[in-house]
Amino acid sequence: MKVNNDREWLKRQAALEDGDFVSVGGFVESMGVEELAGAQNVIPLRSAFARLIQLARRERNLSCEQFAARVDVDLAEVLGIEADEHYRPALRTVHQIANFLGIPDKKLLGLSGLLKVKDAQFQKAALQFAARAEPVEKLSQEEHSALEEYVKFLCER
Amino acid sequence: MTERIEITDFVTGEAVEAELFDDVAVEHFLEAQEEWRPVVVEARWKLSATGEQHLIPRHAHWDWTNKEEDLKLLAFTFYGLRCGGKLQGLMKLQTVGHRCRLPEQIGKPLVYVDYIETAPWNIKLLMRALGREPQYAPIGSVLIRAAVRKSIEEGLKGRLGLHSLPTSEQFYLHACGMESVDKDPAKQNLLWCEFTPEGAERFTTGGTL
Repeated sequence: MKVNNDREWLKRQAALEDGDFVSVGGFVESMGVEELAGAQNVIPLRSAFARLIQLARRERNLSCEQFAARVDVDLAEVLGIEADEHYRPALRTVHQIANFLGIPDKKLLGLSGLLKVKDAQFQKAALQFAARAEPVEKLSQEEHSALEEYVKFLCER
Repeated sequence: MTERIEITDFVTGEAVEAELFDDVAVEHFLEAQEEWRPVVVEARWKLSATGEQHLIPRHAHWDWTNKEEDLKLLAFTFYGLRCGGKLQGLMKLQTVGHRCRLPEQIGKPLVYVDYIETAPWNIKLLMRALGREPQYAPIGSVLIRAAVRKSIEEGLKGRLGLHSLPTSEQFYLHACGMESVDKDPAKQNLLWCEFTPEGAERFTTGGTL
């Protein structure tokens, strides 16, 4: 079969196609990303996401900077994830972290709030993890000093 | 495989160089998701003001994580189209497991188009919603032509099948000249469209008019 690759074919097809949608149904009704994720569900899961990243990083004795370099993502992304539960990480960031930690993409996308999660057990486990992972131990001397200095600074201002 | 081809700038009508490639990696899906998705969301938001958001297929919410696994399977072939430094279209073909439904070729194996998408800036409805003109064409046709070629390479003579979303029926039936078979209750009642070898030849050689 001779395949026509000339400009006339392209022009004719461009006119016929006319900027139409071409989507097919092989993947129809695949899970919704981001805008389908109910805001009320996102925040608790994101706090679990933040704690997970923080603990996984600390377990490896990595600073945020080192973790970002190892995972190959921007430092701002790591800081945003750990410090701000409203932070919306980039898809690539979550994908890279999932690869680094050996966690399935979908699970981490769900935790990050980029993917709608309907699984009640998944949500419950995330909440329990976030609660359990909240530190209760005494502050280290370094943390204590840092906190004291910062409070003092805030009071002086 | 990387093939240099020409596509058309929608506004100027000039031919521009593009690359059709089949070494698609997960990065391409990430790129598509990150660059295409915000445009679709913005257009949907604009269209919601006029009650037309339903015109955007739900398929816009595709799941790239499923496809990452598929990249490793021989039963699937992926194609991408790049132009102007950006990804303009992606397609996933399934070369085994699907059969023809048209009476004259029923039961014969065909290549199934499992996924195909063009970048939102090439879709007229979305760009009009954003007050812009679409950028390149004919992305869908070039990809479907690649699918026909794949079918020929596989010894399937250009036989091709797919489930068209309602918003895409115009493209498959009129721009490509595929044959409408029936609505498939097993696939959300989407229209099953099929190419016979003759139909595929008419399409690829420019005889669809």
